[in-house]
Amino acid sequence: MNAAEWKEKLSRVGESFSSAISGAAAGNIAEVELQFLGRKGELALLLRDLGSFTIEEKKELGRLGNELKARLVAALEARKAELGGGKSKAAAGLDLTLSGLPFPKGSLHPITQTIVRLSEAYLKLGFAMADGCHIEDDRHNFEALNFPPDHPARDMQDTFYVGVKDSSGKDMLLRTHTSPVQIRSMMAAPPPLRVFHPGRVFRSEAVDASHSFVFHQVEGLYVDRNVSMADLKWTVDAFIKDLFGSSAKVRFAPSYFPFVEPGAQVEISCVFCGGKADKCPVCKSTGWLEMLGAGMVHPNVLKACGHDPEKWSGFAFGAGVERFAMLLFGIKDMRMFYENDLRVWKQL
Amino acid sequence: MKILYSWLCDFIENPPPAEELPARFARLGLGVESSGRSGAAFTGVVVGRIDKIDKHPNADKLSLVDVNDGSAMMRVVCGARNIAVGQLIPFAKVGAQLAEGELKKAKIRGVESEGMICSAGELGLEGYDNSGILVLDPSAPLGADARTLFAPPDWVFELEITPNLAYCLSHYALARELCVFYGLKFKEPALPELPKAVGTVAPVSVADPSLCPRYTAVVMRGLKGARTPDWMAARLRAMGSNPKGNLLIDVSNYVMYELGQPTHCFDLANLAGPAINVRPAADGENMKALDGSELKLSAGTLVIADRGKPVALAGVMGGFYSSVADATDSILIESASFSQSAVRASSRKSGIKSESSYRFERGTDIELTMKAARRIAGLLLEAVPSAKIEQVSDNFPEPPRLPVVTADPARINAILGTAMTDEKIFACLKAIQPGLSPEKPWKFTPPSYRRDIATVQDLAEEAARYNGYDLIPSASSMPVMPASSTPMAEAEAELRGRLASLGFSEVYNYDLVPLKDLRNCLLDETQAVELLNPLSSDYQYLRVSMLPGLLKTLRYNLNRGRTSVAVFETGTVYRRTKDGKKEERVCAGLMYGPFPEEQHWRGGSEMSDFYHLKGVMQAVFGGRRGFRFEKPKTRPAFLQEGAALVMKLGAGEAGVLGLADPMAVINSDLKDTQVYYFELSLAALAESWKGSFRDRVPQVKAVSPFPAAWRDLSVLVDEKREWAEMEKDLGSLPDLSRLDLIDVYKGKGVPEGQRSLTLRFTFSSMERTLTDADVNSRMEKALKKLEASFGARLRG
Repeated sequence: MNAAEWKEKLSRVGESFSSAISGAAAGNIAEVELQFLGRKGELALLLRDLGSFTIEEKKELGRLGNELKARLVAALEARKAELGGGKSKAAAGLDLTLSGLPFPKGSLHPITQTIVRLSEAYLKLGFAMADGCHIEDDRHNFEALNFPPDHPARDMQDTFYVGVKDSSGKDMLLRTHTSPVQIRSMMAAPPPLRVFHPGRVFRSEAVDASHSFVFHQVEGLYVDRNVSMADLKWTVDAFIKDLFGSSAKVRFAPSYFPFVEPGAQVEISCVFCGGKADKCPVCKSTGWLEMLGAGMVHPNVLKACGHDPEKWSGFAFGAGVERFAMLLFGIKDMRMFYENDLRVWKQL
Repeated sequence: MKILYSWLCDFIENPPPAEELPARFARLGLGVESSGRSGAAFTGVVVGRIDKIDKHPNADKLSLVDVNDGSAMMRVVCGARNIAVGQLIPFAKVGAQLAEGELKKAKIRGVESEGMICSAGELGLEGYDNSGILVLDPSAPLGADARTLFAPPDWVFELEITPNLAYCLSHYALARELCVFYGLKFKEPALPELPKAVGTVAPVSVADPSLCPRYTAVVMRGLKGARTPDWMAARLRAMGSNPKGNLLIDVSNYVMYELGQPTHCFDLANLAGPAINVRPAADGENMKALDGSELKLSAGTLVIADRGKPVALAGVMGGFYSSVADATDSILIESASFSQSAVRASSRKSGIKSESSYRFERGTDIELTMKAARRIAGLLLEAVPSAKIEQVSDNFPEPPRLPVVTADPARINAILGTAMTDEKIFACLKAIQPGLSPEKPWKFTPPSYRRDIATVQDLAEEAARYNGYDLIPSASSMPVMPASSTPMAEAEAELRGRLASLGFSEVYNYDLVPLKDLRNCLLDETQAVELLNPLSSDYQYLRVSMLPGLLKTLRYNLNRGRTSVAVFETGTVYRRTKDGKKEERVCAGLMYGPFPEEQHWRGGSEMSDFYHLKGVMQAVFGGRRGFRFEKPKTRPAFLQEGAALVMKLGAGEAGVLGLADPMAVINSDLKDTQVYYFELSLAALAESWKGSFRDRVPQVKAVSPFPAAWRDLSVLVDEKREWAEMEKDLGSLPDLSRLDLIDVYKGKGVPEGQRSLTLRFTFSSMERTLTDADVNSRMEKALKKLEASFGARLRG
């Protein structure tokens, strides 16, 4: 046997010990000890063979043998401790159930978290973030969005007016939806255009569990050649699944917003009852939840922004962020978003 | 709008079952807010009388009641509190079908009950007091079937009808819509033929046909005392309307709910002339409206006038003096079409909103006026067959031009992303316009009631409604486009993430604040933008600072037992400027109380102070190029003098931090003023965020590969000497890799006016291991510098 062969044998002893020890039960741990570390154990026998080597070799091989022995002894002790057999090496007096030190931990508002997640979904789909402002003029908030003056559709959105005049002398207003960003984006750059915008909106509505005069929307817009409602459905489907998982289903129903035609209301399969609709308080047993409004950009809107509706088409969608956040975080009362009770926010 | 199933069925042959309708409505974009049964759907219930009440022998809360059902005496166990001898009540006999099912014979606490005295709920009746048994009118005939006392069984749907579907605002129109889209057979209502050329009692003149394109008038005489039939009253009641019993009043409402055409009946005797003039009001004219309000009219408001004065606000409401009353014998029925914007303007100016103005504002079918007039005449003749028609006039100078839309099926498919066959699309178009020729190109002319259809996009929507929106596939033909966030959003996201990880919770406050909050925080209210129509004075101004909202958050949480608060908010602040307004995104926050805030078994919290907040800002901006604190040149608003710092990023000011102005804190109903506040301009952060990612990440310096050596040094220095100066001065020592101030002490052992500073110097060279002698010589230099520049003395 030359030195290399001896080393090979040694390493085999180490390996077979490892597998023996890991499978050993409390009852046969002594057997394992005897087999490897006993006076006639495998290691002892191997060390006995050292006699035939040169002094130089003896020195090196002896060191390796002793190192392995030390390792085996340590492993054996640890295994004994683990099995409750041998002497415990556990640190004494440590109550492991005491709480860790309170490193500062803050939280992000659920609306922020929802907007961040939605924004990530839109960015992945190639929508760029666009800017807007809260104090708007009638033109961007209504007129260019195909709400002519004196149109009853204006009644659908109770508007706050502010004591600031626009360039044409009209009272400015707090935007009632994020849709003015569609106009700003389309006026700022020629198509193709694919943008989104999350932000605050304002409506003169009394506050209750499901209404707030301040709330958030996220708007999406895509204008290009040959954009179709199938593209819209695909996009909505993609970001709904991003939020609620791949089993979420999306369906469209006809609806009306002056700035789109055809218009659609988007419903998703109820995230609580999974669409089973049996006595579900969230979807009122319909299996579906109304989530957002959408549609194809109205030709009048394209025209108002200087784009030829024969050449360009587009889709737009808008969603209430609170609605998403309530479903995602299990929040039942919209007022909670603005109460800022830290007993609640610290749970996030 | 409420819709009665039975009424809808008047216009549909073989109508679908009521249970199917909600889904069918929704598929067409008609929102169903509620749907449910109405009227008396029960059987086996008669009018009974309570003749005797005894106590139940085994239960305190129950009674034994003797009920006379007209033919026999029954003994009933009853738990209601509102029973009394002599009451007439709905008595359900065993076997009766009630809301919850069949009534069975029952033993209640050992006593057999031979029936049940019912509540409104048990009968399935809506709109009655359901707190006890239903007490019937004393005039109800004893023993009669109780169903005769209530509306017949029916279904009521509450629909939300969007402005584009305003043509569905009636039973007739809704039935027609169901027929068009579901291939059902439509039934027109029975209308009497009106005599032609009967003469003119009240001539009609229209000043501007663009405001009133059609005015149909019918004069009828001999109607005195016409009463509303029970079936009509029942339907009006079910609609939530309050029938007056006078048919001349009720018939208008009935026909409006039925056909969607608002009409008005004038008492002919109170029309001067008699004549009808549709004209703009003159400035200074007055009118008392039907609801009693006194209206001051102004030029431009469209009115109906008789020979002299206004008698109705066109399309909005009739006048008080010309309205029909019980003594009315002759009437003029107005069935007209008014301009949408004219009616909307009148309704706004007068503050009157009516069912009529609601429909006119949304647009009515101009072809409906004569139909509605005939329907009214028919209903009146049914009630009073002897009544005479003395005028049938129809001012309709110019029928409207209807748009012609070229319906290209390829374009419709392109809009929807569908592959519908031509036949499928044509079937839809033909259902809406029965006269459509199959020859291509299809020239689609919408029927008069579909004023919403004008473009091929509108037709695409109809095709999708007809075939179901589920037909639209989910499929993308969208090319890949690069997309990015904005510098502002990225800066904001990073800031938020860092603040949250440092223990701050994000809060959201309203942008709208009361004047009181601005004043409490010593903010300049003349700079604030005011709402012209606030919900209340609590939400009257747009915030000019985040401070009021954050102090409110602090107060809210302290009042709920919290002892420490660390919060931040990003949002918009608004300011009035010379040429309008300015909106700015800011991130602000405050900290108050023990930090870290949780109680812990190792203790260790301290009250947060200036240095906590400064430390937070250091951590937020750590490594940011060009970030530094500076002393403010002027006191930042709402911070305490001498306890405030400015934060700079490059040349720009990023924000401020410091002790919140104690006045503002006290004014905001807080007791302790140790509130530390910061406010950062997101625009400034975004500015520093512009450029590439590489431009803003820190550049790494190499560290020494040789071991470092450190020494501490304690010195006494005049307490007015600032640390930053010393730090800067010592920065030039050779091989100094770190300088930490590890202790600051004043008090025992330190002379008055001085403080003891302990500095830890760490040296390391890039070239070699420094020897003891090297380090000592550098420390001597350090001490000399401190002595020379700052008058420091080694602390013994």
